[in-house]
Amino acid sequence: MIEKSTKAARGTVQCENTNINLLKANDFVADIIKKEMARTKTLLINITSSAGSGKTTLMQKTAERLKDHITMAVMVGDLETERDADRIRETGIQALQIVTGGICHLEAQMVHQVLDKFDLENIDLLFIENVGNLVCPSSFDLGEDYRVTLMATTEGDDKPKKYPKMFLTSDMMLVSKADLLPYVPFSVEAVTKDAREVNHELEVLQISALTEEGVDAWCQWLLEKIRLKQG
Amino acid sequence: MHETSIVNSIMRTLELEFEAAQLHKMSAIHLKVGILSNIEPRLLHNAYSAYHLSDPTYQHVALHIESTSLKIQCDICSHITDVENYRFICAHCGRPSKNVIQGEEMLIHKVEFIDD
Repeated sequence: MIEKSTKAARGTVQCENTNINLLKANDFVADIIKKEMARTKTLLINITSSAGSGKTTLMQKTAERLKDHITMAVMVGDLETERDADRIRETGIQALQIVTGGICHLEAQMVHQVLDKFDLENIDLLFIENVGNLVCPSSFDLGEDYRVTLMATTEGDDKPKKYPKMFLTSDMMLVSKADLLPYVPFSVEAVTKDAREVNHELEVLQISALTEEGVDAWCQWLLEKIRLKQG
Repeated sequence: MHETSIVNSIMRTLELEFEAAQLHKMSAIHLKVGILSNIEPRLLHNAYSAYHLSDPTYQHVALHIESTSLKIQCDICSHITDVENYRFICAHCGRPSKNVIQGEEMLIHKVEFIDD
C-alpha cells in the first residue's frame, strides 16, 4: 500500500510579466554614449564585418584621405594584441585598442569606459572598429550614428541571408576588395539583391583600398554625415 | 562566448530591475527570443549552467526559453507577413518593409518569485 503523503504544497508563486529587453543594461549605456556624442557633435560610426575583410585597411585609407580636413580617431576591438591600433597610428591619427580578452563583440560599456581617453570636443569623426564577426556585434547597440558593414569579395556573396540581422541593422554595406572581382566568383549584383531583400534602405558602395576605387565616394559620404551632425 | 555574455546581461539586467531581497526568491526566468536575435536556446541553456559554476547565487532558478518566428507588418497596407528565406517583402502588396513586429525579441518576458 502506498502511504499517503502528508506533505502539502506550500508557498505562492508570483509572476512578474516584465518584457524587459535582456540587453537593457547595454542599451542604457548606449544611450549615454549617444547623448555625449550629440553634445560634442562627434559622428560615431560602428564598423562591422567578418575577420579579414579589410576594416583596418579601410581605417588607414580613410585616415590618409581625411586627416588634413577633419579630426578623426579610431577605437578598435580585438580579442588580443594591439596590432590594429599600431597600424592605424602609423597614419598619424589617434587610435586606441580595446582588448576584449576573448569576448567576440564590443559592448556599450567597453566603449563608454574608453571614451574619456579621447578629446571628443575636438574630434569630428570617431570610428569603432568592431571585433571581426557578423553574428553578435549586430545585437549590441554602441550608441553609433551609423553602422557600416564590410563585405569582402573574397568572402562569397551569400553572406547577407546567412547573417541577416547584421545587414538589417546596417545603414551601409561596403563591398570591399573590389580589385579582386575579376579573380573571384563573387557577384556584386547578387550580394546587393540579397542584402536589399533583408534591408531595402541599405546603401551599397563598392570599394578597394588598393586601387582606391570608391574611396572618394566613401569619404564624401562621411563628410556629408559629419556636416549633418555638426548642423 | 556570445551566449556567456548574454547570460551575464540577463543577470545584470535583473539586478538592475529588482531588489536583492526579491531576487533571492526568484524561481524561474522566462525568455522570449526571436529567430533574428542570434540566440540558440540550447547553447544558452549550457551557458546558463556554466554561469552557476562560477556564481551559484541563482543555481536553483529555472530558465525557460521560447523562440519566436519572424513577422513583418507592411507600412503601407498593414498586412502581416511571415518572413521566409529572409525576404522582407510584403506578401500582399509586394513592397519591401523593415517593420519587424516579431522575431527580433530578446526579452526577459516573465520572472517567477516564490514565497514560503
